[in-house]
Amino acid sequence: MSRIQVAERTRKYISREQVLQWLAQLTGEMGLIAPKDIDGYVFYRKIDDADEILLDYTKPVLSIKDVFFPPSDKLFLIEKSAEELKLLPHPRLKEQVLFGVRPCDAHGLQALDAVFISAEPVDPYYTQRRENSILIGAACREMGPSCFCTEMGSSPDDTQYMDLMLTEVDGGYSLEAITERGCILLNRISFPLEDYYPKKPAESAPALPRYPYPSIESWLDHFSDKYWEDMSERCLSCRACAYVCPTCRCFDVRDETQTGDDGSQMYARIRCWDSCTGSAYRRIAGGHNPRPEEAQRLRNRFYCKFYYFSQQYGPDACTGCGRCIDVCPVGVDITEVLQHITGTRVAEQNNPAEVGVL
Amino acid sequence: MYRPKIIAFLCTWCSYTGADTAGIARLKSPAHFRAVRVPCSGRVSPELIMRTFDQGADGVLVLGCHIGECHYDSGNHRTAKRMPVLRSLLEFAGLEPQRLRLDWVSASEGERFSRIATEFCNEILALGPARWRVSEDQYRTVKVDRPPISDYTPPVFDQTLFDKQTDGMRKAAQELLSSQQVDCVIGYEEDQRGRTRPTFVYQPDDCSRLVWNQSCTHNLAVYLSKKLNPNGAYNSLRGGPSVAVVVKPCDSRTINVQLAENVYTREQLHIIGMTCTGVKVQPRSNGYLESLQGTQLQQRCLDCSERTPLVYDILVGEPPDDLPDRKGISSKALKITQLNAMSPTERMDVWLSEFDRCIRCYACRQACPMCECPTCLYERDDSLWVSAVNGWGGVGLNEKRTFHLGRAYHLAGRCIGCDECERSCPVGIPISYLNQMLASEMETLYHHRAGASLAPPPFVTILSGEEGLT
Amino acid sequence: MTADTQNDMLPELGVLATIKDMGAEIKLFSVKPLNGGRRDYLPGQFAFLSAFGVGEAPFGIASARDNGGTLDFAIQRLGSVTTRLHELGEGDIIGIRGPLGNCFPMQQFKGKNLIVLGGGIGGAPLRPVIQTVLQQRSDYGQLTILWAARHPSLLVFTEEYEEWRNAPDTKLHLTVDQPDARWDHNVGLITELLDRVSPEPENAVTITCGPPIMIYYVNKMLVEKLGFLPGQNYVTLEARMHCGLGKCGRCNLGEKLVCVNGPVFTMNEVGEMLESYF
Repeated sequence: MSRIQVAERTRKYISREQVLQWLAQLTGEMGLIAPKDIDGYVFYRKIDDADEILLDYTKPVLSIKDVFFPPSDKLFLIEKSAEELKLLPHPRLKEQVLFGVRPCDAHGLQALDAVFISAEPVDPYYTQRRENSILIGAACREMGPSCFCTEMGSSPDDTQYMDLMLTEVDGGYSLEAITERGCILLNRISFPLEDYYPKKPAESAPALPRYPYPSIESWLDHFSDKYWEDMSERCLSCRACAYVCPTCRCFDVRDETQTGDDGSQMYARIRCWDSCTGSAYRRIAGGHNPRPEEAQRLRNRFYCKFYYFSQQYGPDACTGCGRCIDVCPVGVDITEVLQHITGTRVAEQNNPAEVGVL
Repeated sequence: MYRPKIIAFLCTWCSYTGADTAGIARLKSPAHFRAVRVPCSGRVSPELIMRTFDQGADGVLVLGCHIGECHYDSGNHRTAKRMPVLRSLLEFAGLEPQRLRLDWVSASEGERFSRIATEFCNEILALGPARWRVSEDQYRTVKVDRPPISDYTPPVFDQTLFDKQTDGMRKAAQELLSSQQVDCVIGYEEDQRGRTRPTFVYQPDDCSRLVWNQSCTHNLAVYLSKKLNPNGAYNSLRGGPSVAVVVKPCDSRTINVQLAENVYTREQLHIIGMTCTGVKVQPRSNGYLESLQGTQLQQRCLDCSERTPLVYDILVGEPPDDLPDRKGISSKALKITQLNAMSPTERMDVWLSEFDRCIRCYACRQACPMCECPTCLYERDDSLWVSAVNGWGGVGLNEKRTFHLGRAYHLAGRCIGCDECERSCPVGIPISYLNQMLASEMETLYHHRAGASLAPPPFVTILSGEEGLT
Repeated sequence: MTADTQNDMLPELGVLATIKDMGAEIKLFSVKPLNGGRRDYLPGQFAFLSAFGVGEAPFGIASARDNGGTLDFAIQRLGSVTTRLHELGEGDIIGIRGPLGNCFPMQQFKGKNLIVLGGGIGGAPLRPVIQTVLQQRSDYGQLTILWAARHPSLLVFTEEYEEWRNAPDTKLHLTVDQPDARWDHNVGLITELLDRVSPEPENAVTITCGPPIMIYYVNKMLVEKLGFLPGQNYVTLEARMHCGLGKCGRCNLGEKLVCVNGPVFTMNEVGEMLESYF
């Protein structure tokens, strides 16, 4: 998607009411996915009624990953009869708009694109969804207590991977077209909008990272540390961290029976989320498991994020969204790991100045 | 015309033959009846029944031998104990309870078989099609009303109370480690964000890391089986590893359950019991309890009146005396009452809306000290009981419901209500309602309270004297 | 982006041309792709076979390329997919996805002495190596085959032993852990056999395939006792994988993915991986 030079971008001022009016129109025109409150928890979900759309939220519980890489995806259907066997490929997806995408989530697409699009062979399922989705970003008002996107090369107003960007300004919003596709969508808005001129250039002073970005060498140096055993002892081997992560993409493939309401049977080959933190993840048919211990599994997760992944696909696989910190039931904290690797860890003491207190 | 799908599980020794007897006597039997022959009614696991409903059955009839006549002595005792509990659970999840029936028919009772089968079929016909099985296009979300939050204001305790307990706990831990009575102390520490989390201390000098406060929510007994019985073999445990664990009163009941189930031996364990003033609502970046974080007590604590662990080796702290008996004031208790007052259809809508956002991360199971199967029934590679289909908007919803209900059922009589499952859930599914509902069922039906003593859970014992006679 | 042009997760259909019993719970399946299929596969590569309705699993290809248009797979009945495959009959349709992964560098092996060590069903991916050497016998040096199994009934390709033995400059040594009454070869672990055969490291390469524990001890002996360099020892590693395309992430060993960087590695490469396979 071709990005427009910063100087040449269209920027419009749009009020809160106008945003909602516009989204209501979009809901009717094409599929809209936006932040929605479900029982006090915020999710990116398909919107049927524009009143459900949230404008004020920190970050949804899950990233937008599931829009492109759903928890389970039908790869094809298998129709079996006595005479023949047919494989029916998946139907094509219609165009959809994603509204309210946080920069950390969009940043996660860097890693997912690297796996599913850049690395041969191209994955048609993911790619198609990427091609057919328009991303309207929403800049964060401020960083949340567990956020560390600025350490991971992003920022609360990062426009990377967005088609349009919505930023809160002067009691309303500025709507900026980042790509040509975004520009077309912006130009289609049916009511007149004033141009918006930022008071100061977009380049505000970048937030200073609270700890240095760990080098590849430092990861190599720390592989055999006893630290992994100590920090992972509390790990429960659940998969919450991986499932809320915007970049974790490991999957399992299975055939499932699909029983119709009339009792008819078909099969579907599905791929579904999986995670390296689960204990049986690496076990092979003969029973051998190269990672039987939590320490090995959790270390693998962190090394994948910052070392293996970049070796295999290019980018790192952490966006600093902090969701894994929020959801871990036993307080495993990825920023602590980064501090360990960079040698900036404050030993077992309260130091709210260093990190956000939840 | 509506033709109900009715599945009958018939014990081969009695009711299956009873059905034959009915046939030979040319007694009328209903047409919409599919019989599945089983070696014993005790073979009819709750998973089978849930699976049957998931696949679209409108009614399930289980027929076994009369109590006292089981070919395997007590197989039907198990059935007799399980079925009422399963029925309550399914009813709570929105199934009309009449759709599941258990009865006894002997081989000679052809007439009785015919009568029960006809009765059941008529009942199912009258009820109409079950709407248990959900497909993506039928699924609808309902707005779930959160229960009103209790206006109970917990007393504020002076920090010195917790400092004193922290001191006492550290001293106890230090003593145990330096005298080499234990290899490890499992307790709580505070991380740099100020969150309390589980910690493992091996050196006496590291005991200064341990803390005690009103955020010590984790049930540390979840780590005990891995620590004390790493190979899962009870027989070889004598002289095995030994650890000390810090427990609250609720956690101590977990230990009773684990001991009753032979997960480890009492000798391996040194219990540092803490007197408890209740645990506060813990941080979450989202969720309806956010506003209460750090001020209100957790719902489970509002219903709890235990101040001292039931089992311990050292007790740290005095039981607080200025706490009222809080039993029954939580919004959880209120919500369960509300749910029970709804129609089955309304209740089912509520539960489906809750389960729909499950991401199948299994944090609930992993955080549960009672979920100890090496491979979970619901996570087999061959997808035997539930498929791996996952998603939202009704996708994989049957699977999610089966997992949650199945897990709740497996915990009946074992769950002590620590609510760690619910706290661990990243998407806030109120799993504890299921557990609490079943806990009260077990108390009503079998006078059993999980972990109150070393008694085994009722599902693995036979009916007691008078129950056996009915 | 080319969402419509290719879909490497979609298997081609193949027919089970022949199925041969090879021992206890082991069968040799010859698969003929319905559309002619790909025949450019190389020794050491693997493919996914689908038992539709149950699932798919990766298997080493057990035949060299000119196999009459079919691909052979030696499959032991272990899990749900293999069980279903065992229930199928000749003429049944399965799915095949591949060839995938790297291969043994047969070109580099030319002129060298080859020591091939197979353990149980692990011997399957070594058959194309042996076939290739025997087809172009003069290109390679001595061929020493050490073939092991827990029990005689678990030895694979027994029908071909005569051919292997009779080939020029070729030796076959068999061993089992638990012999039966008719067994008249070696008894014991493959490492004991290797110690007795004691091949020379000079101008030689070894190729080992079998359970992880066997690979570990065989290479320990080759390096520590027989003087081989880890770089002379080739192995194929088994890993749980679900795509074979470098996407699913299941098969990583440190920064390497067994499916695309392997399954063939030298022990030198295995040793340099950040994470241990064993």
